[in-house]
Amino acid sequence: MSVVIRVSSMPTWGRTVLELRHVSAGYGEATVLHEVSLQVGQGDVVTLIGRNGAGKSTLLRSIMGLHPISSGSIKFLGRDITRLRPHRRARMGLGWVQDDRGIYSSLTVEENLRLPRVIGANAWAEERLFGTFPVLGQRRRQMAGSLSGGEQQMLALARVLRMGADVVLCDEPTEGLAPVIVDQIAEILREVASSGATILLVEQNLRFATTVAHKHFLIAEGHIVDHLDNSDVIARENDLLAHLGI
Amino acid sequence: MNRRKTAVSIAATTALGVSACGGGPTALGDDQAISNGKLTLAVVTDMSGTYSALTGKGSLEAVKMAVDDYQEKYGSDAVAQEIEVLSADHQNEPDIANTKARELFDRQGADAIFDVPSSAAALAVADLAEEFQRIYINVAAGSTDLTGSACNEYTYHWAYDTEMLARGSAATLTQRGEKNWYIVYPDYQFGQDMTAAFTTHIEANGGKVLGTDATPFPNDNFAASMTKALEIKPDVIATMAAGSDLTNFVKQYNEFGLAEAGIELAVGAMFDTDVESIGATQMSGTLYTTDWFWNQDDEAREWADDFKARLDVRPTAVHAGDYSAATQYLEAVQRAGTDDADAVAEELDGHEFEDMFARNARVRSEDHRMIHDSYLTVVKEAKDVQEAFDYTELVETIPADEAFGPPSSSCDLG
Amino acid sequence: MTTFLQASLNGLVSGGFYALLAIGLAVIYGMLRVANFAHGAVYMLGAFGAVILYDMFGTPFWAALVVVPVVIAAGGVVVERTLIRRLVPLDPVYNFLLTFGLALIIQDLVRLNYGVVGQPYAKPAALEGRINFGPLEYPTYQFVVLIASIALTCGVWLALNKTKVGMVVRAATERPSLTEAFGVNVNVWMIPVFAFGVALAALAGVMAAPMRSVNSAMGADIVIILFAVIIIGGMGSVLGAVLAAYLVGFLQELAQMYVPAAAGATTFILMAVVLAVRPSGLLGRQEAAR
Ligand SMILES: Nc1ncnc2c1ncn2[C@@H]1O[C@H](COP(=O)(O)OP(=O)(O)OP(=O)(O)O)[C@@H](O)[C@H]1O
Ligand SMILES: [Mg+2]
Repeated sequence: MSVVIRVSSMPTWGRTVLELRHVSAGYGEATVLHEVSLQVGQGDVVTLIGRNGAGKSTLLRSIMGLHPISSGSIKFLGRDITRLRPHRRARMGLGWVQDDRGIYSSLTVEENLRLPRVIGANAWAEERLFGTFPVLGQRRRQMAGSLSGGEQQMLALARVLRMGADVVLCDEPTEGLAPVIVDQIAEILREVASSGATILLVEQNLRFATTVAHKHFLIAEGHIVDHLDNSDVIARENDLLAHLGI
Repeated sequence: MNRRKTAVSIAATTALGVSACGGGPTALGDDQAISNGKLTLAVVTDMSGTYSALTGKGSLEAVKMAVDDYQEKYGSDAVAQEIEVLSADHQNEPDIANTKARELFDRQGADAIFDVPSSAAALAVADLAEEFQRIYINVAAGSTDLTGSACNEYTYHWAYDTEMLARGSAATLTQRGEKNWYIVYPDYQFGQDMTAAFTTHIEANGGKVLGTDATPFPNDNFAASMTKALEIKPDVIATMAAGSDLTNFVKQYNEFGLAEAGIELAVGAMFDTDVESIGATQMSGTLYTTDWFWNQDDEAREWADDFKARLDVRPTAVHAGDYSAATQYLEAVQRAGTDDADAVAEELDGHEFEDMFARNARVRSEDHRMIHDSYLTVVKEAKDVQEAFDYTELVETIPADEAFGPPSSSCDLG
Repeated sequence: MTTFLQASLNGLVSGGFYALLAIGLAVIYGMLRVANFAHGAVYMLGAFGAVILYDMFGTPFWAALVVVPVVIAAGGVVVERTLIRRLVPLDPVYNFLLTFGLALIIQDLVRLNYGVVGQPYAKPAALEGRINFGPLEYPTYQFVVLIASIALTCGVWLALNKTKVGMVVRAATERPSLTEAFGVNVNVWMIPVFAFGVALAALAGVMAAPMRSVNSAMGADIVIILFAVIIIGGMGSVLGAVLAAYLVGFLQELAQMYVPAAAGATTFILMAVVLAVRPSGLLGRQEAAR
C-alpha cells in the first residue's frame, strides 16, 4: 500500500464549502474511516475513488450525519455541523443520493419528488425536472418501485435537484446501469455542476469520473491516500484499475 | 412483603394473647404435646394470579379467623397455646408450590398446609405431605385425583371437586328434564375432567351430550361456540371456563341471544367473585353448583359479616372451606392433645360434624374425602339483589351422601 | 350455510379488533423501529379507562370512545419522549426489555388497584339486542364494532395514502434515515405517529369493554397474536398488517367452528407457512433498509 498522505490543504477553486478534519468512524469495534481530512470548494466536482469496502459510502453517510463519527469535525458553509442532526444538515443545503438509489417503493414517482424539502433558491421546479427527465413526467402516478433501474437513478437525482442542495453527495450513480444511461447521467451531472452546485461523487467508473469531475480523492482502507486531477487519472488508469480490482 | 408482615403480626398478637393469660398454663411448656412449642399453620395460595380473588389473602384471613376462634373458645385449655399462621404465594406454578411447601414443612416447621388452588399445585403439595408426614387439607383445587390415584394418609379434600360439581349440575338438571347438552370447555386438565364428569352424569340420567367444544385457554372470543350452539339448539349450554374466560363466555352468551333461543346456561364452577365481575344482570338465571354461599343461612351470614369486617369483601365458598378445614384441624389437635400428624389424622378420620361451612359432614376414612351437603343454585334476577354479592338463590339441596362420588377404587387408606 | 356466514362474521369481528390493534403496532414499528410489547397493556388500559370514567363520573360509552384514547395517547407521548425514543439507536434487546417491562408495570399497577377479577361494563342501550339479515341474526353491538373497525381501517388507509402526512409517514417507515436526509425531522413526526398508534389501541380497548372481560391480563395474551399478525403482514407494512389481521381472525373462527382442536394453533401455522413462502411477510419488503 502506498504511503498515507494527509490531504488537508489541497487547492480548491472557490471558497471551501465542506471541510472534514480527522474524521474517524466505524461499526462497533471496527474502525472504517481513519482520520479522514478533506476540503471541497464552492463549485468543485470531485470524486472519491476506492475499491469495495474502502469506506466511501460510510464517509458520505458521516457527512450527512447518518453515521456517527467517533472523532474529528465536519464544517459546512463555515459552520461546524459535527453535532447537527441530518435533517438540519439537509436544510442547510446538503443533498445525498443513496448508493442503492433510495427509492421509496411505497410512494408514487410524484410523491418521491415532493417529499424532499425545497431548501435552496436553485431548486428545480417540477416543469424543469419533467423537461429534463421526461420519463418521470410520464410515470408520475406510478409507484416508484415499478421503475427500471435507470429510471430509478433518474428519480434519485431529480429528488436532490428539486431540493436545490448546494452540495450534492452522490454515491455510485452509475452502478449497474447501461452505457447509454450512464452517458445521460453524466450529462445531467455536468448540467448541475454548470449551475454552480458542488458535487462529491463516489465512483468506480474512471471514465465516467473524468468526464464529470476534475479532481479525485483516492481512498483505501479508510485513509485518503492520494489526490489526483484528470490528467493523473488518465495517465495512471491501469494502475488505478488494478488498485480498484476491476 | 405485605404478606410476611401479616404473618409476623399474627404471631405477635398470639404471643401477646399468651402473656395476657398470665404466664400461660402447663400446656405451654409441654414439648411432648406440640412440636417446637408452637403449632404452625400454612396457607399456600395464589396471591396475585387468576385465582387470587377466589383464594389468596381471603384464604389466609379465613385460617387466621379459625385460629382466633379456637383460642377464644379454649383459652388456657387450648392444647396449642402458641399458633403461627404463615403463607406462601405459589403463583399457580406447581414447581413453585413444591419449593414453597417443602420450605414450609422442612424449615419453617409447618404442621399443616391449607388451600392450594390449581390441581397441579395441589397434587405437588399432596406428595410433600406424604413425604414429610404432615397434614395437607386441600380446599381450593377440584381434582378428584387427590382422593383417588394420588391419595395418601396425610392429604384431605375438604370442599368442592369436579365430581360434586357434575353431580349437582349435570345430574340434577338432567333429572329435571334438561336432556340435551352442549359443553364448551377450556382445553386443559380441569376442563377435560369436568367435561368427562358432566358427560357421565348426563348420560346416566338419560340425557345426551349433543356436542362438545374445546377452546383455547385463555380465550376471549367464544363466538364460534355460540354460533354452533344456536345451530344445535341444546336445552343447556354448559361452560367449564373460569375467571375472565367465564366473563367473556357469559357476555357473549347474552350477546348472541342464546337465552332468548331457550338455551339455558350452566356453569361448571362458579363463585360470587365471577358474578360480581360480570354483573348480576348478565348472569341472572345461570345455574351452578356450590357447597356454600355466604347468605345461605344465619350462621353463614354471621361469619361472612366477620369476614367482611376484616377484608371488606364477602367470602367465597373456598374461604369458608378454609375456615372449616382449619377449625376442624384445630379441633382434632385439641382432641388428640398433640400436633403429631398421625394422631391428628386418626382424630379426623371418620369424624362427623357440622359447622358453618359443612352440613351433615363426615370425613371418609377410606379416601379422606370430607362429604357434606351441596347445593344447586341459580343467580338471582337483578331486581331481587339486595346488596353487593347477594346473588345466589337455592334451587335444590343435594344431600351429603349423594353430593360426592363413592370412594375411588384406586385409593384404599383402610 | 347460515352457520358458515355467521362464522365468517365472527371472524371479521375478531379480525377487525386485531386490525385496529395491529395498525398501531405496525405504524409504531415502521416509524420508530420499536416493537411495542406494551401495546396489549394499552388496549387493557383503554378498557379500564372506560370502566373508570363510568364509575367516577358516569361518563357514557360514547364519550369514553373519544376521551379515553386522547388521554391515553397523551400519556403515551410522555412515555415515548422520555423512554421509548431512547431505544431507537439501541440493540433490539433493550427494546424488548423496556416495552415488555412497561407492559408488566402497567398490568401490575392495574392489578394492584383492581385485582384480577373482571370489571363489569354495560353496553350502550342503543346497541343492545340483535339485528337480522335474512336468516342471519347477529348481535348489534358486535356488528357495529365490525363496521366501526372497517371504517377506521379505511380512514387510516386513506390518510396514509392520500395525505401529505401519510406520505411522510410512509416514507419514514420505509427509509427513516434517507427521509431525514431530505430535511424531514423524523424524530418530531414520531410523536403524532406514536400517539396515533396508542390511541387506536386504547380505542380498541374501549370498544372491547362491553363485550369482553375487562381485567388486568386482557392485553397480555392478545399481544402475542398481534405480533404474529404483523409478522404475517410484513413488519412495518400497514396494509399487510390489516390484511393479516382479518385473515388471522377469519381463520381462527373457522377453525374454532370446524376443527376446534387446531384453533389455538392456526395463527402460528399461518405464520410458519407465510414465512416459509415469503420470509418478509405478505406485504413486507425483502430488504430491511434503514
Ligand atoms: N452496517 C455495517 N456493519 C458493519 N460493517 C459495515 C457496515 N456497513 C459497512 N461495513 C463495513 O465497513 C467498511 C466500509 O464500508 P462502505 O460501505 O463504506 O464501503 P464502500 O467503500 O462504500 O464500498 P462499496 O464500494 O462496496 O460500496 C466495509 O469493510 C464494510 O464491510
Ligand atoms: Mg458504497
